[in-house]
Amino acid sequence: MEEFLQQFINGLTVGGIYALIALGYTMVYGVLKLINFAHGDLFTIGAYLGFTLLTSFGLADKIGPFAAIAVLALMVMGLVAVIGIVLERAAYRPLRNSPRLSAVVSALGASIFFQNAVMLIYGARFHVYPQNLLPKIALNVFGLYVPFVKILVLVASVAMMVGLYVFIQRTTIGAAIRAAAIDQGAAKLVGIDVNGVITLVFVIGPALGGLAGLMVGLLYGQIKFTMGWLYGLKAFTAAILGGIGNIPGAMLGGLILGVVEALGSAYISIAWKDAIAFCVLILILIVRPTGLLGERVAEKV
Amino acid sequence: MRRLGFVLSLLGCLLFVLGGMCTARAGTIKIGLMGPMTGSWASEGQEMKQVLDLLVEEVNAAGGINGQKVQLVVEDDGGDPKTAALAAQRLVTQGIVGVIGTYGSSITEATQNIYNEAKVIQIANGSTAIRLTEKGLKYFFRTCPRDDEQARVGVKAIKKLGFKKVAILHDNTTYAKGLAEETKHLLEKDGTVKIVFFDALTPGEQDYTAILTKLKSANPDGVFFTGYYPEAGLLLRQKKEMKWNVPFIGGDATNNPDLVKIAGVDAAAGFYFLSAPLPKDLPGKEAKAFLKKYAGKYGNPPNSIYAVLAGDGFRVLVKAIEETKSTDPDKLADYLHNKLKNFPGLTGTISFNEKGDRVGEVYRIYKVNEKGEFILQQ
Amino acid sequence: MTINRKKLYLIAVPILAIAPLVLNPYWTDVLNIVGLYALLGLSLNLIVGHAGLFNLGHAAFYAVGAYTAAILNTVFHIPILWLIPVSGFAAGLFALVIARPIIHLRGDYLCIVTIGVGEIVRIALVNDIFGITGGANGIFGISRPHLFGFVLRSPAHFYYYIWVFVFVTIFLFIRLENSRVGRALNYLREDEVAAESCGINIAHYKLVSFVIGAFWAGMVGNIFASKMTIISPESFSFWESVIMFTLVILGGAGSIEGVLLGAFLIIGLPEIFRGLADARMLFFGAAMIVMMIFRPEGLIPAGKRQYHIDMDRSQGESE
Repeated sequence: MEEFLQQFINGLTVGGIYALIALGYTMVYGVLKLINFAHGDLFTIGAYLGFTLLTSFGLADKIGPFAAIAVLALMVMGLVAVIGIVLERAAYRPLRNSPRLSAVVSALGASIFFQNAVMLIYGARFHVYPQNLLPKIALNVFGLYVPFVKILVLVASVAMMVGLYVFIQRTTIGAAIRAAAIDQGAAKLVGIDVNGVITLVFVIGPALGGLAGLMVGLLYGQIKFTMGWLYGLKAFTAAILGGIGNIPGAMLGGLILGVVEALGSAYISIAWKDAIAFCVLILILIVRPTGLLGERVAEKV
Repeated sequence: MRRLGFVLSLLGCLLFVLGGMCTARAGTIKIGLMGPMTGSWASEGQEMKQVLDLLVEEVNAAGGINGQKVQLVVEDDGGDPKTAALAAQRLVTQGIVGVIGTYGSSITEATQNIYNEAKVIQIANGSTAIRLTEKGLKYFFRTCPRDDEQARVGVKAIKKLGFKKVAILHDNTTYAKGLAEETKHLLEKDGTVKIVFFDALTPGEQDYTAILTKLKSANPDGVFFTGYYPEAGLLLRQKKEMKWNVPFIGGDATNNPDLVKIAGVDAAAGFYFLSAPLPKDLPGKEAKAFLKKYAGKYGNPPNSIYAVLAGDGFRVLVKAIEETKSTDPDKLADYLHNKLKNFPGLTGTISFNEKGDRVGEVYRIYKVNEKGEFILQQ
Repeated sequence: MTINRKKLYLIAVPILAIAPLVLNPYWTDVLNIVGLYALLGLSLNLIVGHAGLFNLGHAAFYAVGAYTAAILNTVFHIPILWLIPVSGFAAGLFALVIARPIIHLRGDYLCIVTIGVGEIVRIALVNDIFGITGGANGIFGISRPHLFGFVLRSPAHFYYYIWVFVFVTIFLFIRLENSRVGRALNYLREDEVAAESCGINIAHYKLVSFVIGAFWAGMVGNIFASKMTIISPESFSFWESVIMFTLVILGGAGSIEGVLLGAFLIIGLPEIFRGLADARMLFFGAAMIVMMIFRPEGLIPAGKRQYHIDMDRSQGESE
């Protein structure tokens, strides 16, 4: 039982990161119906930018670790958002009225481009974040190991999710986003600046991805130019699992995916972990073809 | 018709480019390097290239081989068998005498026949799978030791450290799995050490706490991890965060200074790994001079032992061409098989047996000390 | 404005027929890989281009075909050429079992399921499922094809083997396009609801295209296995599926000539960019975006089909 709870907690902490990346996926998908395969690489860029900013300014020494991380997070989110806007303008906007799969190929091209750009700029070797920036507090609850910082990440992603959800559901801008998601033409007719909405979505989505990259860097220390591909795929799985386009769904999907992976490796086999996760996904989709919380059936391809 | 023209002009362009790619320069000795310059193992390939660039410069500065300059021809194998087969075809058509590389065993295997049929000497630097030299290929050599050799040393280390219950963890790559299975086989034959855990992690991930939790519940005296340094670093770091103190032993793929950077000095301290002797621990002056030059040119000592092994492959080939005064593959192969004895390499002395394997005990046991330095264990 | 198929092939076939005589073995081998991907693209085109199913796991069927051939050849020493239909059948059967419960999923949900299937197959291969796939090492020592006592060995031999297969495939697929099945698929891609209301059994035809596509990918797996003589799981990664998918969309979904051109570009461009060393994949990624922006329907989009009705019988002919 103790091991079960421990693995459950392990899974939740990993799932929190998947969820944070999945939020960005689902935001973009909700409005554009586009699977942004470059999202994982925006995540990588976030991690690398965080590394550069952290090591070149020595912020942590000047203003203390927590303030430094807050400033860093804002800077990384801002920069990645800029890249996101450029990406949308350059690679997605020209294809908005084209067949949907063309935009998917463009996204794949952007993913390859970003990944190799990072490799050329930073080199192919691993980069390592400065150690001991975050306090290593591990809570010991009834013999369970609970990493404090990872719990903070989980709490942060839940907070992000709630914030986004309230933003989309309660504010005027949120209503505009929802309108554009349902019917862009009709949204234009009632005076909504659809291009503005899409730009906004490409600010929020990549910013969240970049933030997740920074957090992974801070938590695990080691970053590599290829890491976005794996995380991107996991986050995409999570978003689909919860019902893509649905914000609480992305959160739920991420957490479930993390827990399934942890429990799968604990009780079945570590080597088969990813296969188990995909089997669970397929079974869920056979029973609920639009994911756990997805209501709308996706457009036909 | 416009579209037809479009297609044809594209096809025409392609053929034009294809045709224009066959040029050769005479008067130089061409040596190929096939390595992963892109893809997941790009850091290894790029370092292999750095090492060889340095050595080629050195040879040419000293007047070349028998008066002829050396030219390095680099091709990217992308860490993928199909791309590697193409890279090999491309190298073969460029008139190379020999080729150094490559890193992964299955990648090397996809190219072995191509080089062998074209009679090109191939000296692999990171391909440790046993079967590569069991096929009786005349022109294939390798400077890295085989998995069974390393497994033997691994078992020795496990017993020396007094483990009674050991956990073996690999990462499902050809190399790591080969080493893990070979070690398991030897331990089972030996019978004094119990294997309480045998499984594989997924390389490239970052959170291994689930795996460590499972490992911990198996309660081993020590863990033998046969995978690569990035995962080893993360395992050590997360193990430390979990406050679990169990000794870890790593295979030679964990021999990389980045391991300490990833794990942090305090988490890496006490980690054992197997490796060919590091250049700094070699008595020969070649190794020390090479280290100094490398650090002078690139600002840091070489990270990967496999890149240094590629350098050894190159030096052995140059030696063979010098001694035989020929680029005839049969003469070179004969020299490497039979006449080259105790060549002072950058990773210890080098001789090859009739299969093309490096002979002699290569592996040593290293331990990471409190400062994060790699200390040779006697 | 549309392509004149006959003229195109009249020009292309002779060029391709003499290509290995003027090219060195390296470029011949590049064309071999182009041919293999053209075949894979054509098979995926049935699924993506014709039936409109978002399949990003085609490598799974390719893998099943390749491993079937490799296992039967190395264990039972059955000549590899005889195993071509067996490979196809194994892959087709696998596709049938997999696709039956998921065929009703739409768009992106189907996409993630096919990705999942591809990953499950790859993980199963890596973990040496049933002890027959050789794990990460893969299977080696697969024999080369024997054709009437002649062993296919050099790149040029394989060149003719592969490209004859390509043109046979093109011929058959053109026939298929104009058959009852092909027209039904065209209809359901254009408008699923209208097709269903005309009495076309959507699920059935989607399944048919899925299985035929997988069958073909399985046969290509066999050719790949005999060409490489060693196969390992890394040849069947998610990335492979992405390449196949990209070349279909890039060339023009639903268009046979488009897929052929797509294969030339997807395999040819990275080889041509070899001169750029480390930066070659960067340019490749940028090229993908640029090509999609300038030709969003693909380089050679599928033309709208017109059918002439003769006095006594109707006959399909594409313009």
